[in-house]
Amino acid sequence: MIINPILQKDLKTKLRGWRSTILICCYVTLLAGILFLFFAGNGMLNPVSLQSFNPRMAINAYNILITFQFALLFIAVPAITAVSISSERERQTLDLMLVTATPARTIILGKIMVSIAHTMLLLVASLPVIGIVFFFGGIGIADIAKLLLFYLLTAFYVASCGVFFSTIFKRNITSIIITYIFLGLVTFGPFLGFIIYVLIKERMLGIGFNPVYRDFVKWLFPSPVFGYVSFYFGSYGGYGGYIVGIGDIQRQIEMLLAAETGIWKYMHPWIVNGLFSIISSIALIFFSTLALNPVKRKL
Amino acid sequence: MKNVMVRTENLTKRYKNTLAVDKLCMEIEEGEIFGFVGANGAGKTTTMRIIAGLLAPTSGRVFVDGIDISKKPLQVKKQIGYMPDFFGVYDDLKVTEYLHFYAAMQGIDKKRTNTLVDSLLELVRLTHKKDAYVDTLSRGMKQRLCLARSLIHDPKFLILDEPASGLDPRARVEMKEILMELATMGKTILISSHILHELSQICTSIGIIDSGKLIACGSVREISEKMSHSGKLKIKVLSDEEEAVKVLLEIPEIKAVSTASGIIDVDVAGRDDTYAEILKTLVEKGIKVVSFQPQESSLESVFMQLTEGGNGNDN
Repeated sequence: MIINPILQKDLKTKLRGWRSTILICCYVTLLAGILFLFFAGNGMLNPVSLQSFNPRMAINAYNILITFQFALLFIAVPAITAVSISSERERQTLDLMLVTATPARTIILGKIMVSIAHTMLLLVASLPVIGIVFFFGGIGIADIAKLLLFYLLTAFYVASCGVFFSTIFKRNITSIIITYIFLGLVTFGPFLGFIIYVLIKERMLGIGFNPVYRDFVKWLFPSPVFGYVSFYFGSYGGYGGYIVGIGDIQRQIEMLLAAETGIWKYMHPWIVNGLFSIISSIALIFFSTLALNPVKRKL
Repeated sequence: MKNVMVRTENLTKRYKNTLAVDKLCMEIEEGEIFGFVGANGAGKTTTMRIIAGLLAPTSGRVFVDGIDISKKPLQVKKQIGYMPDFFGVYDDLKVTEYLHFYAAMQGIDKKRTNTLVDSLLELVRLTHKKDAYVDTLSRGMKQRLCLARSLIHDPKFLILDEPASGLDPRARVEMKEILMELATMGKTILISSHILHELSQICTSIGIIDSGKLIACGSVREISEKMSHSGKLKIKVLSDEEEAVKVLLEIPEIKAVSTASGIIDVDVAGRDDTYAEILKTLVEKGIKVVSFQPQESSLESVFMQLTEGGNGNDN
């Protein structure tokens, strides 16, 4: 099997020391610590307490863990990829890569794979901690598999953004800043836009607005947070009809999705956002390759 | 007739208001060591980067072994070994790992790589450092490692941009020996350097570039001949030096004669034909000539004359 040479080199140099092992251990310990504190704080570790077995608490712990991982993905992947090409340029090794028989596209893909490999390593290493919630029921293997797939697609998209800006901007610092700003806009911008749209309709135009699922999709499809709500287990308790948290958004969206018909019935937020991630990643890889390729003929 | 390894046709590169390379046309034959000479900012590196496929020209074309680089860049890159004027090394890699990485980038079969790496390290005299980390190498060693990297895919054509810059005299001599060895292996080499004396020792031909234009091309002798129709002779006679000087001054083509330490220095208006006539006259007049040596112009003097008044600009 031919492994991308950039991925091979990176894995060899980064994983051979103790540093990465210690990093993974720290990360898993941190997750386990969060879980322990959560259970302890909710009296679930007390053998005489009536609350010592409460599946709802396990689901809440699961929500916390996946949110933590999702945030980590957004922090770690751009940090690796936003300097991937610009650091080669600063180290003066980019020319040496471009002068080889390896096409620019393979170089770009190698850089993306490096960041995905590191992220997936952390996510897979954390599975035993997440697996603790299986003891309480309510969450199955299929949920975890779907979550990992969604994380993989999101990491692919975030990494493609990082590599793209790293190709465009010559300096590491510029590339990092622009990547985080762009991802911030893509993640929270659609929600802001949707809120403004609803306010304009309801308050300024005085039109009653009862959104359907497609309205949410139309506005929120680029935001990874929209996809992420598919995996968040809502409370179903309700807060007087007001949307006050991500659990309420999830509940609202699930209700509207259930009312959909035809193909829309299957277009869960994570599938919609996953498709967007795939398409935009391909476009970003194409433009990165074009920007990196010095002769701009053979991609 | 030898195959042309590199041909540029009206190669032009413009950066906003700066014309870095100006309609440059040149040919390098297979097996040649072509020295590229020019002041800082004359356009050497830009030209080399275009030929290596790292920079797109504004206009003009480059052919390497008959292939247009703009049409088949990957095919051309397989034929080119490029060594820039900077190290470009990964400090967290060992010497062998560094070469293995670039072998993989060149798509070389893994089974072949081990043998290839060993033979290259032997060629650049770094076998004893094969397990050392790249950041522990001296500057000269790093340069040699970079040269080994550029040879990993056994290219026909090497582009070496200032390979001896910043090296101490011993490292320079070692680098020169390696280059001579590569020439015997049949590699075509395009090399730029500011150390003109060394360049003239190893190069079969020279191209002088000034403000993006190739102002002279050929062997040092050919260039100096093209530049002027005058030459210098060093003559040593067995005895009767004064008589020899008298005879020489009677020859109309001789412009000046001076003597020092038993050697007669002669400035001649003419080249080979005139030299032959001078030697014939001396012998006919009964002067016993011990040595008769036409003096080649040095590359430095040719370069200085050609680029006189020219200003380089950084590009």
